[in-house]
Amino acid sequence: MATQKDIKSRIASVKNIRKITRAMEMVAAARLRRAEQRIEELRPYAEAIRRMTRRAVEAAESIPSLPLLEEHDSIENVGLLLVTGDRGLAGAFNSQIIRAGNARNRELQQESAQVHWYASGRRGVSSIQFRGLELAAGYTGFTDRPAYADARNIADDLIAHYVDGAVDRVEILYNGYVSPMTQEVRHETLLPLQQAEVLGSEEDGEGASPSDEASDSGEGPDHSRSLWIYEPEPEDILKRLAPDYVEISIYRALLESTASEHGARMTAMRNASENAAELIDNLTLEANRQRQAEITQEIMEVVAGAEGLR
Amino acid sequence: MARTKFRAEVLTPEGQVFDDEVEMVSTRTTVGSIGVLANHAPLMAILDPTELRLYKSESDVVRFAQGEGYLQVVDNSALVLVEEAIEPDKLDRSAIESRLKDARDSLEQAEEGSEERNRCERAIRRYEAFLEVGDGS
Repeated sequence: MATQKDIKSRIASVKNIRKITRAMEMVAAARLRRAEQRIEELRPYAEAIRRMTRRAVEAAESIPSLPLLEEHDSIENVGLLLVTGDRGLAGAFNSQIIRAGNARNRELQQESAQVHWYASGRRGVSSIQFRGLELAAGYTGFTDRPAYADARNIADDLIAHYVDGAVDRVEILYNGYVSPMTQEVRHETLLPLQQAEVLGSEEDGEGASPSDEASDSGEGPDHSRSLWIYEPEPEDILKRLAPDYVEISIYRALLESTASEHGARMTAMRNASENAAELIDNLTLEANRQRQAEITQEIMEVVAGAEGLR
Repeated sequence: MARTKFRAEVLTPEGQVFDDEVEMVSTRTTVGSIGVLANHAPLMAILDPTELRLYKSESDVVRFAQGEGYLQVVDNSALVLVEEAIEPDKLDRSAIESRLKDARDSLEQAEEGSEERNRCERAIRRYEAFLEVGDGS
């Protein structure tokens, strides 16, 4: 049986842990707000790129062949990009991505495709290496605050591997940000790009987002093609726009993953703080019980001693 | 001589970095250097990495190191969409130099005509342009 002193020292250590988890919860909450803001900041840029693409499509005499939109004849090699965090202590955040990656790997193997692993975040990289798998490329050191240059770096690698034929399809697995409490594993195909997504078939573009439509009609008077100057030709502009979609998709996934990571950590740390508080209550109760038992014991001894003297 | 002003906006994936009235926007497209004044004809262009200069007036010039991107002029307002727009005094010279070196090393190994090679060449052009902007300040 633990003595009173043991229990007191346990209470002290749990209190210290609670201080740490509270601090981590607060830090995660602050970073979460910043990460949410960065998702918002990407939106105007992504929309401007989409509008520009639509104009270039309208102006182009023919749609040039875009290697990023072309499907490969047979799918033998599939790139799988796992987006995780650099650090743990965030509940199921990292493990659910790794688990989803394993599940997808098994599926692909049944389709007799070879998986090439890509990972961002130290957790994903080390998990893949730990299992003795070959890592095609790992990206670490920025998951707290991903910059666009980080996304471009990943996108450039994937695009080069896709165009040069090392992989026939690229899929991404990341934690989509739903709310601070909820993250969901999202599984998307990065390459080949979907024709509708980039070249935006008319009904698709207009139905999907009313804001695009409004700004398009605002630019209405200039719609006549001949008035526009293109440097270079619209066809070449389209060729340059295609990779931007990959970059933006990856950047958005990195941002959502970062927001999810902070959200998951915040929730995990709040639970830990609550558990610590409960543990402290229980231990305090136990300590009091022990103290009373000791007092009772002492009184019994005194009484017994007095009895004996009579 | 004061020129007519028009609106110019610089947008990056990491947020808006500039939105104000300017007299001239000076940058470089894949075709060559360009200066956009008020009432420019509608224009769409691909931008190369270079120094982006926004002339609020003859003497008040806002400068950025600009990555790849696009320029769109419509309805007398200019929209600069670039992957990066870094203020010259925030350029991290050593980081850029090391990336430039990495890109040059990978270029040596890349096969002729491969996408990997194009990518290295783009990176080299970008970082060289950034270094030049840094030198100019």
